[in-house]
Amino acid sequence: MSLTARIIPCLDVRNGRVVKGINFENIVDAGDPAEVAKRYDLEGADEICMLDIDASYQRRSTTLATVEAIANQVFIPFTVGGGIKKIQDIEVLLKSGADKVSINTSAILEPELIQHASREFGSQCIVVAIDAKKEGDSWSVFTHGGKNKTQLNAIDWAKKVADLGAGEILMTSMDKDGTKSGYDNELNQRLASALKIPLIASGGAGALEHLVDAIKIGEADAVLAASIFHYKEISIERVKQELLKNKISVRSNS
Amino acid sequence: MQIGIVDYGASNIFSVLRAISFLGAKAKIVANPEELKSIDKIILPGQGSMGSCINNLKKNDLFESLKKALSEKPYLGICLGLQVLFSLSEESPRDKGLNIFPEKVERLTKKGNLKIPHMGWNQVEFKKDHFINNDIPNLSNFYFVHSYASKKLNEKNIFSQTEHGEIFNSAVLHENIIGVQFHPEKSGDPGLKFLKNFIDWKI
Repeated sequence: MSLTARIIPCLDVRNGRVVKGINFENIVDAGDPAEVAKRYDLEGADEICMLDIDASYQRRSTTLATVEAIANQVFIPFTVGGGIKKIQDIEVLLKSGADKVSINTSAILEPELIQHASREFGSQCIVVAIDAKKEGDSWSVFTHGGKNKTQLNAIDWAKKVADLGAGEILMTSMDKDGTKSGYDNELNQRLASALKIPLIASGGAGALEHLVDAIKIGEADAVLAASIFHYKEISIERVKQELLKNKISVRSNS
Repeated sequence: MQIGIVDYGASNIFSVLRAISFLGAKAKIVANPEELKSIDKIILPGQGSMGSCINNLKKNDLFESLKKALSEKPYLGICLGLQVLFSLSEESPRDKGLNIFPEKVERLTKKGNLKIPHMGWNQVEFKKDHFINNDIPNLSNFYFVHSYASKKLNEKNIFSQTEHGEIFNSAVLHENIIGVQFHPEKSGDPGLKFLKNFIDWKI
């Protein structure tokens, strides 16, 4: 018996609909969030992640209604990210049905938010998302959806937020995101050996072996993917079979 | 039949309420002794620390009335709702629990590269057949998030066990009282089945 590797499909949501697009351009409507989440649940997703991609616009109530619609139908852990700036934002998301929140830019602008939030709600519901890009021998952290470069080193930053009380790290490799060439296993492995909290790998899934490698080589505790599951290129069930074949324990969905 | 979900400030009461409503049962949030009297079954969800749980229950006059209700109504304690059934927890040794079980709750031991908190899906090995685990395949995975657990307990009270570097009691049982360390409200089908069985359970 041991903890299973977690497979986490991610829904990009805008104005109450799941959307798909590359680099947030050519966005197409891709369904009702609760229906898509339900489908992933039936396929064996271990958690659901929802990213509110236009959280900066005035559509907070739509987001909350979407969160509630998903939470009313799907009874597995549910993480919501996007536009979280203050403690009250977290509180309303948790009340609406999120189990965890994912915080990215705001953690950098105001690191105390992580400390306050983990004290108030518990570390288990605070995920810090980091967007990083390799520069020379190290990885730099970017904010605002990858637009702005910071002076932060990704591994140092992850350790810092873990000390502040983050319960998990969601690491997205900007070099790999959208390329379908595999996760950044080098970054993830370094991060995993530096961290005492779970690591969720994100960015680059394109084939079955990528998800296996993210766990075996990258030592991630969980793998997040959006488009491969969304376009049904690979089913969650198929990923789990492949992980099992590689002697990685997974949750059976019977 | 109405289920009362005890509110003492834990953030996950609404997840439990959602799951119970999804299963078609009547449930309400209870926050004081009068409301506790009016309901037929009790669920005590939990998140946070043992000390804050006990102190919040006391602050709302719920501690003593809960103790009394435990002698008559079916009870399901989730996570801290399991831990509070013990005499005390290493997490806050000065705060006395409900003492259904005289043993104590201990911190999980850090072993090798295993992470604490124990967080994620893990297998539950049921040691007993009971109405509550009816139709749930043994060794089903349930979702856990915790750093403390019951390790020593009288064998007759051990309902299930789980391993995370060491074996701990993932569900406990005493007459009308059940405690689970996992989160059935977040454990997919087996979790919903568990809650449904609790709804249908007659004592």
